[in-house]
Amino acid sequence: MKHPFAWLVFIFSLGILAASLFRVSFETVYLLAAAFLTFCLVFSRRKLIFVLCLSCAVFFFGALSLKNSRILPKEHISRFIYYQSDNFFCLEGLIDNQPALVDNKTTFIFKIRKLYSKNAQFSCCGKALVYVKGITGLAYGDVLLLKGKLFRPYNFGANQRRGFRDYLYNQGIYAFVRVRSASEIITLERNKGLGLKRFSLRLKSKIEAIIFKQVSVLTAAVLDAMLLGEKKFIPPLIYKSMMQTGTVHILVVSGFNTGIVAFIIFLILKLLRLKRKIRFILALPCLVIYCFATGASTPVVRATIMTIIFAAGFLVKREAQIYNSLAIAALSILLGNPRQIFDIGFQLSFSSVFAIAYLYPKLSGFLQTEKLKIRLLKLLLEGALVSFSAWVGTCGIIAYQFRMFSPVTVLANILIVPLAGFITLCGFSLVLASLGLPPLAPLFGATAELAVSLLIKLNLLLLKFPGAYFYLH
Amino acid sequence: MFDLTPEERKVILFLLTIAIIGAGINFLAKVNAPLKNVIFLSPNIAKVNLNTADKDLLMSISGIGEKTAGRIIAYRKQQGAFASVDELRKIKGMNASRYEKIKDSVVLKQ
Repeated sequence: MKHPFAWLVFIFSLGILAASLFRVSFETVYLLAAAFLTFCLVFSRRKLIFVLCLSCAVFFFGALSLKNSRILPKEHISRFIYYQSDNFFCLEGLIDNQPALVDNKTTFIFKIRKLYSKNAQFSCCGKALVYVKGITGLAYGDVLLLKGKLFRPYNFGANQRRGFRDYLYNQGIYAFVRVRSASEIITLERNKGLGLKRFSLRLKSKIEAIIFKQVSVLTAAVLDAMLLGEKKFIPPLIYKSMMQTGTVHILVVSGFNTGIVAFIIFLILKLLRLKRKIRFILALPCLVIYCFATGASTPVVRATIMTIIFAAGFLVKREAQIYNSLAIAALSILLGNPRQIFDIGFQLSFSSVFAIAYLYPKLSGFLQTEKLKIRLLKLLLEGALVSFSAWVGTCGIIAYQFRMFSPVTVLANILIVPLAGFITLCGFSLVLASLGLPPLAPLFGATAELAVSLLIKLNLLLLKFPGAYFYLH
Repeated sequence: MFDLTPEERKVILFLLTIAIIGAGINFLAKVNAPLKNVIFLSPNIAKVNLNTADKDLLMSISGIGEKTAGRIIAYRKQQGAFASVDELRKIKGMNASRYEKIKDSVVLKQ
């Protein structure tokens, strides 16, 4: 076993999956985990028995992590939701994300601290998704007192496989709060919460403002999604068409975007002629800020952790192994929230990277790409192999979750991914030019407009190919 | 199989032990912790005292304008004090729907 850490994380994930399938009490799982841990201590000198006992202990630890995450304390917000309750509650808490204003409706995640019901005040915990009609001026870190009705999340439509409720539960959100009007919200304090996150989100708002000022709405929407992961302005038709060609990952900030951001940061620091070690040390906080600014979605967290591990490996002069760093990233996410394993973003992100790491070297060796002398041909073939590996890794999950199969994905990614990389670079150049050299900004904006228009047209052309995609019934 | 050094094994076991103990403590804390900070608030909190409120305070109640506030103060001066909230009905211009709207916002204290 060359990658013990990857093996342990795989076993840990199996434990989580097993706990979701079988009904066993927390106490039973806990006793089994403790028993195997004791065996590990007893047989720590006997290699094979130690490995078996350790694997079992980690398996049951995974299972009890999921069981524990499903047990909610008595003061959790979900315990205050009654069936068909008409009661209004007053809630005190903190805004935990950047509020989004769409169609005159503001939504944000609210981390609750206190709850007032009738004549009593309760200490309360948990997160709720708040809906309020037409309010602006709220930001992450605001402490609010609001009055609204509590609801349990529900699934929209008949597709129970990937319902909205399950998505919210996986994010740790167990309640909806509907506030009738902005007048029922009182801001108690401002600028609370994590300072770094607050700074990142403010930076994001500023970058968004720059983008929307410099280019047309459609281009701005695509740039906003590619650079900052904010896809609320993307027209639904474009989003759907990119989903059908399997290139939607460029619109939701993923490891690809984090890679480009890392590349830009390293390039800027290199242009400043800083030493390699200092470049690595300076780049890491920038990536963490980017991670927060994009909402810390699973693929970005995964990519950020992996980059940090690779950079740390460089700093301590040790080569980081991709499987172990992927495993550390998975473990960091799963220890925080074991239910993330059921999240489609988590599954797609890890399966694609795993498939690339495993399949690409094998395919590349089989086709002997190293021996190709024409550089362009070599680059094209390598791009095709990476794209094919990622497609193989994710097509099963996509077919199961979205009931869709897109053979055009491989070709689409070969053509669209380099273009998306170019658009992302254009977008960042546009933002930097707006800050440093404003006269240059319209020029970068015009190039971005052309590239985005090309991207959309190319995507639509690919969809016209016979058998480009089909739905499974 | 695993090519772990004795030190690596010790570190993994130590971390796993701490994590499993932590999960148990976390579970017990969630299951056994009672509801904290239950404070019963007075039902009269944030209500306006009819016997002491000045004109501005009375006007802050939805349904009471400048004229009605003046009449309430005049009635209070005339009668000494309100004996019950029901006496508000005797104020000129206080119809049933208006009274229903106001009655939950006021309280009587000496």
